[in-house]
Amino acid sequence: MRRIACFLPVPLLALSALVLLSFAAPASPEPIAQIRIGVLAPLSGPFAGGGSALTQAVTLAVELANAEGGLLGRPVELLVADTQGRVEIARSEALRLTSREKVFALVGAYLSEETVGVIEVAAASRSVLIVPVAATNEITDRVRREYDRYRYIFRVGYSIPQWAGMMAEFLARQGVSRYAFVGTGIRWNRELAGELRRALAPKRIVPVYESFYSPRNPAFESVAVAVMARSPEILVLGDPGGSSAEFVKRVREGGAIFPILSVGGTLGDARIAATLPLSAPLYVQAASWKGASPAATRYAKAFERRYGYMPVGYSDTLPYDAATVLFSAVRAAGRTDSDAVVKALETGAFPGIAGTYRFDPSHQAAWGTPELHGIVIRWEPGGARIVFPVPPGESNPAAADPRAQ
Amino acid sequence: MHPFAQVILDGLFTGSTYALMAAGLALILGVVKVVNLSHGAFFSLGAYVAYVLSAKEVSNNPAAAVLLACVIAFAFGVFLGKSFINPVRSHPFSVAVGSLGFAILFEQAAQMLWGPHPVSIGSGPPWGELSGVVVRRWGAVSLLASAGILGGLALFLSSRWGLPLKLISEEEEIAGSVGIDVEKYRYLTFGFAAAAAAVAGALLAPATSITPTMGRVPLILSLIVVIASGMENVLAIFLLAMGLGLLSNISAYLLAPQWSHVSLLTVISLLLLLRPAGLSSTDPGRDD
Repeated sequence: MRRIACFLPVPLLALSALVLLSFAAPASPEPIAQIRIGVLAPLSGPFAGGGSALTQAVTLAVELANAEGGLLGRPVELLVADTQGRVEIARSEALRLTSREKVFALVGAYLSEETVGVIEVAAASRSVLIVPVAATNEITDRVRREYDRYRYIFRVGYSIPQWAGMMAEFLARQGVSRYAFVGTGIRWNRELAGELRRALAPKRIVPVYESFYSPRNPAFESVAVAVMARSPEILVLGDPGGSSAEFVKRVREGGAIFPILSVGGTLGDARIAATLPLSAPLYVQAASWKGASPAATRYAKAFERRYGYMPVGYSDTLPYDAATVLFSAVRAAGRTDSDAVVKALETGAFPGIAGTYRFDPSHQAAWGTPELHGIVIRWEPGGARIVFPVPPGESNPAAADPRAQ
Repeated sequence: MHPFAQVILDGLFTGSTYALMAAGLALILGVVKVVNLSHGAFFSLGAYVAYVLSAKEVSNNPAAAVLLACVIAFAFGVFLGKSFINPVRSHPFSVAVGSLGFAILFEQAAQMLWGPHPVSIGSGPPWGELSGVVVRRWGAVSLLASAGILGGLALFLSSRWGLPLKLISEEEEIAGSVGIDVEKYRYLTFGFAAAAAAVAGALLAPATSITPTMGRVPLILSLIVVIASGMENVLAIFLLAMGLGLLSNISAYLLAPQWSHVSLLTVISLLLLLRPAGLSSTDPGRDD
């Protein structure tokens, strides 16, 4: 025992020396803390196409921001979570990103259903959430109803009434009076059909056929026959997914010559459009497009250089703008404090690819204004042409007779 | 145009796509006696083969796509049958989970190889018109192919070359005792069934959007057809597939598109309630 007691001072002295040394040692330069941002998107399963485009666009925005020195002098780190298109996974991944990974803000999710789940997590953790594409009214309704709880949520993408408004404006300019609406039987699509009907009623444009197919057994041929039997002047196709290309093939194969206006998504993809019959006009609604503005052209070129294909103008452009709006707000706030960033987002104007974003009291970006409006392109054998708003100096031949196109 | 005549013709075409997928599945259920949930993955594989040949401008000839898809899927099918299905086939849940796992693995691999975005091939103009009714090119191709494959299968099973398969299907032990290599026939059957699914995918690729998960819906529909018709009678499979195709398209036209799936499942549920062993079975098979 006595021998042990004799040895005890040695380790004690060594430990004391170590403590003293560590205090005396010159402080090593601390690594610059990164600003962490989480992205929620379906990267597997049936919605992986849209989710992948979303992630690619945000990644590009982060890379460009970091190339310009980052945010507030700090590099931005992106943490990507796969929601698999499922509400419960989206919610748990949002929880992981905010609580364990300590992200400062979130961008996502993709589907309306997922996003409604994620806003609860964002509200509880007081993390800023920028919604790029999910369109359901429920997101901004919650901000309006319970501002204190949901004030961290902002939507960059268009709401369903705004979407319907922009499409109604285009249809009115086409001079049509009868249209058909066909789409996937999912929530936002039914809301969109209703809003479009309401937006077109004062313009005396009426639906002659409206239907929603099940993705499990869409029976496209019958839908195509039913639409043709009603003789609409234009068909509005409410399906941003892969099935839309299949439906266009069926309609055209059946000999239909009415124009089709797609809500965007897959039909904005040049690789898909190149395989579709263009025997009658195929229009695609988009947030922006190459050639719409210098910023849009720069973005499209950067995207194509980085990923090898042209952006579709919707599921990539809006997420890109979601990220750049967030970065601009952080710069305006001067810090990554959620409340300061919320204040900046509420009061500022933020330039993006599609125009300048300002948020209304429900934190919805003000689409359908001169400084932020969607466009419509028309696919032609050589590529796409912007047809709405009509570029300066061009007439709108489609307005005379849409079938003549 | 005569809308209803068009719906009827399109319904037959739709039914033929169910039959095309169901042919291979019936073979597996009848001979190997397992539920193969990877069947849809082979359908997608066939479609991607057609896409690659077209996109790389190797060939736009459907025959080339069909041939290549057939060879690749047969090789994969034999490998899967020999290495996984045969050793665990007496455990139906393991087979179901394992084959589902393979399907998901294929979806992930397809996503990594060709991306998660849909891809597409030009579908070409329709074949023509018959008294105002449009004959859709890929519908007609599907009808001819399904009639050919199922007809060929029926002929094969009724010939002396098909006897070992029939014997394995009915009395496995006796088949083994008379010197038939049952294990070999099982994995070869799995290979042929995989090839049939891939042929369906390659043939129908121009009419669809090609995605990694595109095989899920045809798998469910063909499984329904095979279980409801019973796997013994090839003609019953063909006729039931045609009937369901007609039902699906007519209900979508007369009611609404979302009713096509509901009406199809309602009829199948009633059929199975009355004849759980399948329509073609002589034994109703009810437990009460």
